Amino acid sequence: MKRFGFRRLRFGRGMILVLAMFMAVLAGCGGNTGANTEATNTSSNNESSSDKGTDNTAAAPVKITWWHSMSGSGEKAINKIVTDFNASHPGIQVEAVYQGKYDESLNKLKASLGSNSGPDLMQVYEIGSKFMIDSKMITPVQKFIDEDKFDLSSLEPNIIRYYTIGGQLNAMPFNTSNPILYYNKDAFKAAGLDPENPPKTFEEYEAAAKALSKNGKPGAAIAIYGWFMEQLFANQNAEYVNGGNGRDQAATESLLASDAGVKTLVWWKKMVDEKAVANLGRDTDDTDSAFAAGQVAMTLDSTASLRKIVDAVGGKFKVGTGFLPRPEGVKEGGVVVGGASLYIMNNKPEEEQKAAWEFIKYVASPEVQAEWSVSTGYFPITKAAYDQQVLKDNVAKFPQFQTAVDQLHASSASNATSGAVMGIFPEARQIVEGAIEEALNGKKEPKKALEDAAAQITDKLKQYNATVK
Amino acid sequence: MSELDNRWSLPAGTSRASAGRRLRTVSLKRLKVRENMLAYAFLAPSLLLFGVFMFYPLLRSVYLSLYSTDPAGRVASFVGLQNFTALFSSGLFLDGIRVTALFALLTVPAGMLLALVLAALTHNLLRGKRLFQFAFSLPMVLSVGSAAVIWKFLFHPSLGMLNSGLELAGLVPVPWLTNPKWALLSVSLMTVWMNLGFNYIVISSGMQGIPDDMYESAKIDGAGPVAMFRQITIPLLSPTLFFVLVVSIISAFQSFGQINILTQGGPMDSTNVFVYSIYREAFVNFRFGTGSAQALLLFVVIMLLTLVQFKWVERKVHYQ
Repeated sequence: MKRFGFRRLRFGRGMILVLAMFMAVLAGCGGNTGANTEATNTSSNNESSSDKGTDNTAAAPVKITWWHSMSGSGEKAINKIVTDFNASHPGIQVEAVYQGKYDESLNKLKASLGSNSGPDLMQVYEIGSKFMIDSKMITPVQKFIDEDKFDLSSLEPNIIRYYTIGGQLNAMPFNTSNPILYYNKDAFKAAGLDPENPPKTFEEYEAAAKALSKNGKPGAAIAIYGWFMEQLFANQNAEYVNGGNGRDQAATESLLASDAGVKTLVWWKKMVDEKAVANLGRDTDDTDSAFAAGQVAMTLDSTASLRKIVDAVGGKFKVGTGFLPRPEGVKEGGVVVGGASLYIMNNKPEEEQKAAWEFIKYVASPEVQAEWSVSTGYFPITKAAYDQQVLKDNVAKFPQFQTAVDQLHASSASNATSGAVMGIFPEARQIVEGAIEEALNGKKEPKKALEDAAAQITDKLKQYNATVK
Repeated sequence: MSELDNRWSLPAGTSRASAGRRLRTVSLKRLKVRENMLAYAFLAPSLLLFGVFMFYPLLRSVYLSLYSTDPAGRVASFVGLQNFTALFSSGLFLDGIRVTALFALLTVPAGMLLALVLAALTHNLLRGKRLFQFAFSLPMVLSVGSAAVIWKFLFHPSLGMLNSGLELAGLVPVPWLTNPKWALLSVSLMTVWMNLGFNYIVISSGMQGIPDDMYESAKIDGAGPVAMFRQITIPLLSPTLFFVLVVSIISAFQSFGQINILTQGGPMDSTNVFVYSIYREAFVNFRFGTGSAQALLLFVVIMLLTLVQFKWVERKVHYQ
């Protein structure tokens, strides 16, 4: 028996190394298998498309691939746009591929770099802008705008301002949104508040939230979403990073711990401490469902969720919408355009890039934008869309849609409301969310939490700037 | 063997025996090489797989850990050991290890104990044994992904079934995943449940392997059920328990799916276990340099841990 045990021990020593290695490798592989398989899946499509693309003489249509991140009603609307486009443009075939949420699809794009498996046209969220430009893998749409003498004057100036970086339009905005206040009109009435006059300032918001809370159950909820912090900065006309919000030159320092940030987080934490605002985590889906179930009577979210929220509420109560609140006494400022834009990738043949531009022009047309806006809740990028009958009908049916548009037009023009630009924006957003959690949970004072987060972001900016030439 | 005979018979005609001896050693050496070659030929398929999926990635990790990468994940410049020092100075390494160790501590003993108790209770059951065995091993058929999604609904802060149950009972709802004090506990709870199926199956089959005559003779000697459990079941089950322990610890260190779905490492990094932070560093922030450095450190930690287990814990294991 003793000998047996000894042999086992020897066997064990060999096993240790193998087991440990196995672990380390598994740990490393976990994340990217998904991305790789996706990339290889689409690669076969692309190879065939580039074959056809170079073959000029044949009448075969130019095939282009479009990676997007719209699910649910957005995906349905996208599929309709693509089908209509393919039917009306026999020379071009667009294939729309859903690649997961914005983060995931951007990661897949990164994984596809250096190979031919990437898309021709890529939908990237607004905070990926700087990365896309620095990656040098795109052809700025400005090139096609100039060549084509495409008229930008009918597009919303605020939207164009966001996406104009380095003096040119690098991508064509596609789906744009901004954050609004959602409130339950019936609950407002029951709590003795004016249902037609939603809170406009931090102070009013706090008072309303308190009035709506009863028996220690918070009457409002705000998701711990970094985007809200960015928007609340812009709403006070405060810049998020230095270098003219990263627009005049590459940002080197985060301004998170400035007065605007501290004021916002102190306000937020106070309401959580008073049990007037619930902390339901980072996911806006969770605050939306609590709102739709009538558990909280006030919340913040993107206009893009309006359709979903109104549908989820059904006829249970009347949904009101209002502007994003700002501290008392702040006059200037406004909201930053959120959403995503379309990039043309430069590793594809000229002909495919041109075809992608044709598609972009189609997508930016008033007819398509009106249709898109009605089916999703994103507001149209072109002012001409408001003349379309379907949009007029929709606004008559859901007057809440109008709030986001009014809010956009009420925003003053400045670097702050144009939106911050930095290459590490997605990561910075995570860091900010961590800081908000630290403050709300009482681990750190709001100012201290923001200072620590700002130092981290500044550090990451330094690393980023060092690796980008 | 036949070849050896042939060679042996060749010098038979010559008179000098010493020449024959030399010839014999040469051919033996050759034979050894030949045998080794054959062994390697048989090993080749697995060596190839190990090479492609383990040794190459490992070497690549070592290489990447010494470089910094640009935002698209391409190698940018050589930084030496900076990635490692950054991990220590930023506390990323120690925090990750602390959370992971805590997670292992919360899931491994609880998971094993629960499975052991359930297995012991169902072992001698006369009626409904199959039913209970089926019920207790059921969590095993669910993948981590679907199990985590189910628990996400249960843990939902305002609409979750757990909280509505607590409210019905007149208790205060618990911020399962939104409070840093609770989050790791909640994820552990879900993990214990998820691992129960596997642990239960392994432990109860180990119990079935203990011969009945031992219990019978113990019973004749007047041993009660508790004494039998402590003196017979536990020692004879120790190889199984050791196996479950090693596997559980490894799986605790590897946990990723449930954390990715339930908390994404939050709130306040309270569930940011080591593997998840590697994933975030490498595949979300695209810093393969620090990601690889972290992976190598994890490799060292797990190697030490496994060494400890085999050196000390295994001594207490009773092999029949």
